[in-house]
Amino acid sequence: MDYPSYELLFSVAEVEDPAVTIVQELQRKYPNVSSELIVSKFSDEVNPKINNLLDSYKKAKWDLLLISDSNIRVQPHYLKRMVPDFSQNVGIITGVVAGVSPRGLGGLLEASYLNTFFTRWMFVTKHLGFPSVVGKSMLFRKQTIERIGGIKTLGSYIAEDYMAGHAMSKLDLRVELMRSPVEQHIGTYSLEQFWKRHLRWGRIRKSIAPLAFLAEPFFFSSISGMAGAYALGTWFGIAFFEVWAVHMIGWALMDLSLHILSDRFSMRALGAWWVREALALPLWGSILFGHTVDWRGARYRLLQGGLVEGDC
Amino acid sequence: MYLADFHIHSNFSDGKYSIPFLVDYFGKRNFGAIAITDHYCEQSSLIGKASSYLGVTLTRATLPLYREILKSEKVRAWEQYRMQLIPGLEITKNSISNHRSAHFLVLGTLENIDPSEDISVTSQKARSQGGVVIAAHPVSTRKLEKQTYHLWERREELRDSVDAWEVASGPFWFNEVERAGLPLIANSDFHTEKNLTSWKNLMACEKHPEAILRAIKTQQLDFHFYREEPIHDSLIRVLSRTLDSQLGTAPLGHSLSF
Repeated sequence: MDYPSYELLFSVAEVEDPAVTIVQELQRKYPNVSSELIVSKFSDEVNPKINNLLDSYKKAKWDLLLISDSNIRVQPHYLKRMVPDFSQNVGIITGVVAGVSPRGLGGLLEASYLNTFFTRWMFVTKHLGFPSVVGKSMLFRKQTIERIGGIKTLGSYIAEDYMAGHAMSKLDLRVELMRSPVEQHIGTYSLEQFWKRHLRWGRIRKSIAPLAFLAEPFFFSSISGMAGAYALGTWFGIAFFEVWAVHMIGWALMDLSLHILSDRFSMRALGAWWVREALALPLWGSILFGHTVDWRGARYRLLQGGLVEGDC
Repeated sequence: MYLADFHIHSNFSDGKYSIPFLVDYFGKRNFGAIAITDHYCEQSSLIGKASSYLGVTLTRATLPLYREILKSEKVRAWEQYRMQLIPGLEITKNSISNHRSAHFLVLGTLENIDPSEDISVTSQKARSQGGVVIAAHPVSTRKLEKQTYHLWERREELRDSVDAWEVASGPFWFNEVERAGLPLIANSDFHTEKNLTSWKNLMACEKHPEAILRAIKTQQLDFHFYREEPIHDSLIRVLSRTLDSQLGTAPLGHSLSF
């Protein structure tokens, strides 16, 4: 890592975790890099990720902390690109995630989601003044998080990243997006895994911001296109299907240009885009009717505001 | 003597500013004590549910964050301004009928407070934790807004449950509350900067949370109409002082009227 001084704390919940061997190998390979493997699993909090991180948070010796999920692949300049953007009024810097190395239909759909809709959405919400924080990669000051009682306070929420961003707004601090994306290694992913993951995300969004969730279909390419085609048809007599088709092709080209710009375009990505768009509405409907989510082997019941009742 | 305002809203409910902003805002104005009292709405009513969806009330979800920010800002308020920050809630029971609507402040504790409970139950809980309960704007606020008369209509029954009744809310003084022989307090119900010009409390007790809450219970406080000097007043004052020093004459004289 190209940065003057840092330490790496690897947090795993169980000693049987396959990551342990990899971390130990890395420690042998880079003895001069300050690092520690922390195997700990608290059960105080509902959020399993926070439970896993509590010990590492306590042990971290520097003020600037970067939480990076294990499926994030970073470049040597990762820290050098993020840290300079930290000014006095910034609370969190978060990375825009780009999905890479997808395998299987679920993987392609996940990459299509991350590289188009999600990226665009992060920039839109930032410019609307409601920035999203992505827990996969977030940099913050320990002293800032101490102002909200440490990361333990975030442990009651299943969407700890959303609440971290919300907390920053209550402290008059900004959330900034990293200038270059971080890569999320997707790997083999089934359609079922994709569906369940987005069911979880969607239901969390619904519990946190129900009104915004109800408005979501109007941001889907198909629904917004239909609304536009209906309006143009009513006012100007333009054929519904023609407007809708032009709208869909235009939207697809805009989204796929993001793939092209990041050298991630393929015909399979093009196909996945259409499938994902077709699944958006049924998925939204499935999210609407239900309040439970499965995460890391446990089932949780979501309460209003992002709180959860554990293991139901 | 120091100024105190015990009814201030932050952006955790329908206030405009964050808690850190409010600490700086009142700290820079030499207030000795403030209480942040965000709305905590009863969820059984339709209005309460709507407030929750619109994000203009504390909820079970946001309360832990609110508590922690108050804790850390309390330390900063004292270290930076020697100002006590008292944690509080405005328990908000809104109904379509003004006669069934009630708002009351709980100061000094946030623990185990349930907005669906009756004020008498909340009062017992708050007092057992060293807190006090204040009836907020119990009569007409003289503004075109939702009114809350329920507590006032039960004032005899609630005499032992309420530690003080707001005799003023913002710039308006309530004569009927003053005449009722109840323990009194005056607050701004601060939401935005325009609410700064309002009645406040003048306290003489030690700047310590327990002493302040005791002073409310024992009515060791006085009332003061606070307004900031308008800019033209400041200019006159500066000119007057300059002329005085240059010409050796008596100052033109200008004082704030309350």
